[in-house]
Amino acid sequence: MSALLQAAPEVNPLQDPLRFERRVPPCAVVIFGASGDLSKRKLLPSLYRLFYERRISPDFAVIGSSRTPMSDDQFRERMKESVSKFLEDAPFDEDVWNSFAKSLFYVAGDLNVPSSYDELKKKLDEVEQTHHTAGNVLFYLSTQPSHYAEAIQELGAHCLHKGNGWRRVIIEKPFGHDLTSARKLNEEIHKVLDESAIYRIDHYLGKETVQNILAFRFGNGIFEPLWNRRYVDHIQITAAESIGVEGRGGYYQEAGALRDMIQNHLSQVMATVMMEPPTVFDANNVRDERAKLLRAVRVMKHEDVAKWAVAGQYGPAVVGGQQLPGFRQEPSVDTDSQTDTYAAVTLFIDNWRWAGTPVYIRTGKRMPKRVTDIAIQFKAPPLGLFQQETKTGLREVRPNLLVMRIQPEEGISLRFLSKSPGSGMRVRPVSMDFNYGSSFGERSPTAYETLLLDAMIGDPTLYTRQDMVDASWQIVQPILDVWGNSKFFFPNYPAGTWGPKASDDMLAQQGHVWRIP
Amino acid sequence: MSSTVIYPAQPEQILKGLGKLWTSLGQEEKQQGKPTVLRACAMTLIVATDESDGAFSASQTIAELMREHPSRGIVLTISQVAEHELEARVLAQCWKPFGKAQQICCEQIEITARPEAWPNVGPTLIGLTAADLPVIFWCRHRAALEPTASAENKAGLQAIMSIATKAVVDMQSFSAADALKILAKLQLQGKTVADLEWTRLTRWRAPIAQIFDNPARQNPFSRFKSIEIAYSGDQLPPCALYAGAWFSAPYKAAVLFVQEDSFASGLHRITLKADSEQIVFERTAKDAMSLHSTNGQQRCYTYAERSDKDLMTEELTIGGNDHAFEVTFARAREILNEQR
Repeated sequence: MSALLQAAPEVNPLQDPLRFERRVPPCAVVIFGASGDLSKRKLLPSLYRLFYERRISPDFAVIGSSRTPMSDDQFRERMKESVSKFLEDAPFDEDVWNSFAKSLFYVAGDLNVPSSYDELKKKLDEVEQTHHTAGNVLFYLSTQPSHYAEAIQELGAHCLHKGNGWRRVIIEKPFGHDLTSARKLNEEIHKVLDESAIYRIDHYLGKETVQNILAFRFGNGIFEPLWNRRYVDHIQITAAESIGVEGRGGYYQEAGALRDMIQNHLSQVMATVMMEPPTVFDANNVRDERAKLLRAVRVMKHEDVAKWAVAGQYGPAVVGGQQLPGFRQEPSVDTDSQTDTYAAVTLFIDNWRWAGTPVYIRTGKRMPKRVTDIAIQFKAPPLGLFQQETKTGLREVRPNLLVMRIQPEEGISLRFLSKSPGSGMRVRPVSMDFNYGSSFGERSPTAYETLLLDAMIGDPTLYTRQDMVDASWQIVQPILDVWGNSKFFFPNYPAGTWGPKASDDMLAQQGHVWRIP
Repeated sequence: MSSTVIYPAQPEQILKGLGKLWTSLGQEEKQQGKPTVLRACAMTLIVATDESDGAFSASQTIAELMREHPSRGIVLTISQVAEHELEARVLAQCWKPFGKAQQICCEQIEITARPEAWPNVGPTLIGLTAADLPVIFWCRHRAALEPTASAENKAGLQAIMSIATKAVVDMQSFSAADALKILAKLQLQGKTVADLEWTRLTRWRAPIAQIFDNPARQNPFSRFKSIEIAYSGDQLPPCALYAGAWFSAPYKAAVLFVQEDSFASGLHRITLKADSEQIVFERTAKDAMSLHSTNGQQRCYTYAERSDKDLMTEELTIGGNDHAFEVTFARAREILNEQR
């Protein structure tokens, strides 16, 4: 009864959503693995930047935790160094840092040692009082994936998973090593946390241009009628990196390109591009549609893997006058490693909209350039009035290509055919270009800024849900099974090229060729 | 890149000049054998100015705004010394994003009119607006805004207001009382009217509003019964009045304006007072602000005077009605009446 009589909290009459940024509730952010690379390079710079831009509540605190013994001041000093070094496209301001640093705390502790959580609890109670965080806590697991289940169990055992306010946990990828381990991890996590409190981060989904796919598709009326098997010939998704494993050889050798990129980032991007329109733009509706799309992907039979998937590994090469090592020559990598540094797959979506339209996904390291894009190749016009004559005869022209560039030059371009000026009917493809950076000159928030804010606000739209993770593991599992039992003749592509020839052959089966992005 | 003077400044001639300009930009592209120029336009932005506008360069500001808000810019300068009654020149403002080969270009039309020709400029401007896109009128012609404006200036202003979707003015150099009169008059024309003095306040308003987002806060906003606004300068600046009006609008809190000496003119400090708490947000140095509460909260911010470009960038993102400003404006009028 007393709860019924309690007055509802006053609605803030000072809000001005037209001009102010989204409202972020007060909270404490606990980072496990606070002395790690991700914290230094991404998390703390993002939090500082959000503070600098006045986008987080003044009532907030960050508690870093890791095994390294440190005082609060030492932690602040270290983080100051990292933030000033890794802050992207933004100034570092000493006064603002000093103000920010007052909300930084550190608790040394081992995730495996229960008493560490008692210390953490004490600190959380303290900042709830001193920093008015209203009992809201966002835990960020930036640790070895093998510690996830244990850390969450300990949070539960120490009653840190509930309190005066909300409790949310961000978990970094990978979510498991394969389908079985992913399911097991989910099971363990769900013993303590409800799915609504779990924020599985996939930083690709936080990129402005990936979010823009939704705006582009569902905010405009002209593209959606064409967005199906009748008009789309095929789709190519490319995520190429020019760098190698950059000192992460040990980790990468266990993961490989298929696990590292296609199982998570690229399957989520594919789902965003190909999902059905949600009925309402909210987290669950958007995620329902993504999950439905992933479930509609035809799961390969083991005997089909050789036909629809290609593994590659880069070998040494001289690029730009510089000798680049092959993967097997990288530090911490076995000299006969069977790890895929390149993976390409052909997927088919067995639903009404996309039946029969192939989706080609490729990703690799040591490619000619860093680029991530999605290309929608539309079908040729029904009648070839403007076929082009080539050495091999008449060629059907398929000029309409819509490219959504995710990085580095975020934007969208549409290629279409146009008459060349002058007499005669000579045609040539031209491109209509929208450049995200130049059309909106202001600095875009980084993916981590976006995702951290979303988690504080409680908007999981850009986070992956258990069923999505499960579905994407199901897609890649048969390939992992077959590749795990195969002996590859690696390396099969030199550094600085677009991958192995087998990948071109895979597309040639369907009469297609890879674009050169 | 710009054209020679177009006179008489008929829309057809000006548009022809623009066409030639794009053709010549396209020729450069052809010579280089790859797309080098991207044409961008999201609105027509008309800037009216006069010789008293000093160092302000409308062309330069439009060029800077172009990155966020590409427009067909029309700069109308009213000048006693113009050679012709009405003459025009077209030019393209281009910029090349860092590391990219392609330039983004926006077209600009500079029109110079003698004061007596200003009232007749309407038909020219109508022919020059970009089709199907909003027309934003940024009036920097101070004399035309003044309550004592001449008939010519009034008619000139009216000519542009009639085709504008939204008008933007800056009342910074007016007293708060005059500003309200001028804005009320402009609003009578049924167009959205924005004041950059209000835009300046965003960086004051947002941090204070944020404090009250915390539902666990001991003192909700309704407990702050009085507001003190400190400013420096000879007269109450519009932004100080807006600040007082905005904070007092929800619960009709009492507002006290205090004139103080400070290192900079304009709004200096906002103090919200409740029985058991006081929140102060103030400029502590030329480049710093501090927000502190008697309950122990404290936070520092950087402060930088907002440039015209910065203010317009914010203002141009608001296409429809600005409800918060409408409420504040109404409350500001009440406060002034109460204080009389």
